[in-house]
Amino acid sequence: MKTNTLTTHGFVIKQLPTATAFIDTNFKLIYASYKWIEYFNLEYHSSLSKHLFEIFTDADKEWQECLEKCFKGNTEQGLQSTKNTAGKEKWFEWSNVPWYDDEENIIGAIIQTDDVTHRIASELKLDKLENLLKDQSEISKVGTWEYNLITEQVTWSEMTKKIHGVAKDFKPNLESALNFYKRGHSRNTAAMLVHNGIDKGESWNIKSQIITPRGKEKWVVSAGKPLYKDGKVTRLIGTFQDISTQVEAEIKTEESAQLLRTLIDNLPLNVYIKDAESRKVLVNQSECDYLGVTNPKELIGKTDADLYGEEIATISRDEDLHVMNSKKSIIAKRTVNIKKDGKSTSFLTSKLPWLDIHGQSQGIIGISLDITELIQKEDQLRDLINVTAIQNKKLINFAHIVSHNLRSHTANFSMLLDFLINEKVAEEKTRIMDMLSHASVNLMDTLENLNEVVDISTNVNLEKKPIGLNEQITKVEQSLSAFLHKNKVKLTNHIPDDITVKAVPAYIESIVLNLMTNAVKYKHPDRDPRIILSARKLEDNTILFSIQDNGVGIDLNKYGKKLFGMYKTFHNNSDARGIGLYLVKNQIEAMGGNIVATSEVDKGSTFSVYFNDKD
Amino acid sequence: MTKINSIYIIDDDAITLFGIKKLLGKIVTCDNIYEFKNGKVAIKTLLHQIELGKEVPDVIFLDINMPIMDGWEFLNEFLKLPIDKKIKINIITSSIDPCDKRRWMEYKAITEHHLDFKNKPIFSIGIEDIIKVRVAS
Repeated sequence: MKTNTLTTHGFVIKQLPTATAFIDTNFKLIYASYKWIEYFNLEYHSSLSKHLFEIFTDADKEWQECLEKCFKGNTEQGLQSTKNTAGKEKWFEWSNVPWYDDEENIIGAIIQTDDVTHRIASELKLDKLENLLKDQSEISKVGTWEYNLITEQVTWSEMTKKIHGVAKDFKPNLESALNFYKRGHSRNTAAMLVHNGIDKGESWNIKSQIITPRGKEKWVVSAGKPLYKDGKVTRLIGTFQDISTQVEAEIKTEESAQLLRTLIDNLPLNVYIKDAESRKVLVNQSECDYLGVTNPKELIGKTDADLYGEEIATISRDEDLHVMNSKKSIIAKRTVNIKKDGKSTSFLTSKLPWLDIHGQSQGIIGISLDITELIQKEDQLRDLINVTAIQNKKLINFAHIVSHNLRSHTANFSMLLDFLINEKVAEEKTRIMDMLSHASVNLMDTLENLNEVVDISTNVNLEKKPIGLNEQITKVEQSLSAFLHKNKVKLTNHIPDDITVKAVPAYIESIVLNLMTNAVKYKHPDRDPRIILSARKLEDNTILFSIQDNGVGIDLNKYGKKLFGMYKTFHNNSDARGIGLYLVKNQIEAMGGNIVATSEVDKGSTFSVYFNDKD
Repeated sequence: MTKINSIYIIDDDAITLFGIKKLLGKIVTCDNIYEFKNGKVAIKTLLHQIELGKEVPDVIFLDINMPIMDGWEFLNEFLKLPIDKKIKINIITSSIDPCDKRRWMEYKAITEHHLDFKNKPIFSIGIEDIIKVRVAS
């Protein structure tokens, strides 16, 4: 009967939907549900009647103790991990209850097992996730917070507390939480945002400053959003991030950038940075001023082709490419830039390769010094040196002339005086005396001539006035009328009445007088003198005045170089002083003009005078 | 008194001409003293003389600074002339320019004629200025 009962029991238990096993007080397995057998991947028949710990060889003592307690009437629960025969770890939750017989005697224990492997795995995962989150929070310094509107409780995560510089057990409330914000803008903004979050359901994300209890200022990003229940805001949750390091770095970067900007904007140099395509990516104030823009943005992205003519742009681009390809700088190269409006500027330009962190060229850094004024000054200086050199040459020439002329006179005086002393014959003495007085007159003449020359050379700055050329011609014509008439001169004047020249009045008179007199003086013996006067304005406003004669002419191949020299005469003419053309040339040059002669022997000569219109 | 056939004085300065003639009169007798105002007329005359087969001068007094053709230009032309006679040429100048002295040395080196250089003023003319003093030759 007992066996029968047992068999019946066994039959029922086998089919239980839960994993259940019955053991006797000797730990022997009496019944087991298929589920249980399956659960532990056992063999049904061979397992029955076996000692429990023969089946579960790795079972710990705790389980045995539990079961023993069970035998004494206790109900025990626990969690156990085991490896099944396939070696796979399984977690199960067991509950052991005493097994009573009909007479309420404990005859063993009923073991019920739940497979919680899956649940445990999930829990582990959650743990891991939590740890991960904590780690992340630690690394990113992002904390969380929550404000429960109903309980008015504020909860801070560990990191949030750390950022605020408070202990782990710190209990914040809304007021104390807001008071961490720096008084003023930060605190006002935070309070307003919390208020708006509650009132209007608005989310926020702001950058502000807090002050820790130790007085340390921190930059934080606090974000928040309301959570609703039944259409009402019940909670605010959010994050709290310490960004002091980033902000400080940002501030430092900004300060460095500001410093650099101030520096390059106040340099008296044009500074620009171009990318690999030679597009401007940075320009300083000087460059903006030079290119006539107020905002640097107007130049960003532009190339030289946008700013200068094609030729200049091509040269510049070639330079850029050279610097980028060779990674070698061009230092202090003299360049000329012509802007599209035609204005030319001279620069001393340096171009340096702009390298990225890998040492590859990503563009060029250009620095240009405007040396236009410097070059102008240099040119002026060079002109001045040239003028001085010419003056110096003239002076030496003049000194030679003076010394030679004075020397020839004094030599004559010495000789004649020597004769006079030794002369016995009275008649001869008188003759020598006559010669001496003649020599004295000559010397005076020479000195006067020289004085005239000195006058011109020293009065370089005599004031020039506009003078009607024809009026001047008429004046000279009148003063020479007797002379012209005597020589039967035929004078033709082609000069337009409106031609005026800028000249020193005394000089122009002397020039016209000398040239006209010469034209008559050196007339051809076989014909009456003919003079043709003409004048015209040239393109550069220079006035060209020409006087053409039909006189004997001069062999310019022979005498060209000496034509305007002092005391050079080229004709057998008794009144040739050799000073006229020298004076004329000096006077014209003193006024910034020029004189040239063309001539053919026996045909005549033409003297062309150029008057410039400068003051 | 030494007798000289022909003397040329080439100088545009009347006083120098007078002086040279006066000083010459003291040491030589010469019936043919010619005066020229510049080098060009002197060369013209010389050419003419040579063409006619007439006598060329024994002595020439030559100024440097003259119009139309100066002393150096005259020398240039003169040295081209077909003259066998060794002529005594006295350069008389008021120039103390070292350049002129250098040019004299240059001409002296390339000519067979006797080339001398004197600075004005001249107070006397010696026989050595008239007669070839190339004793050695």
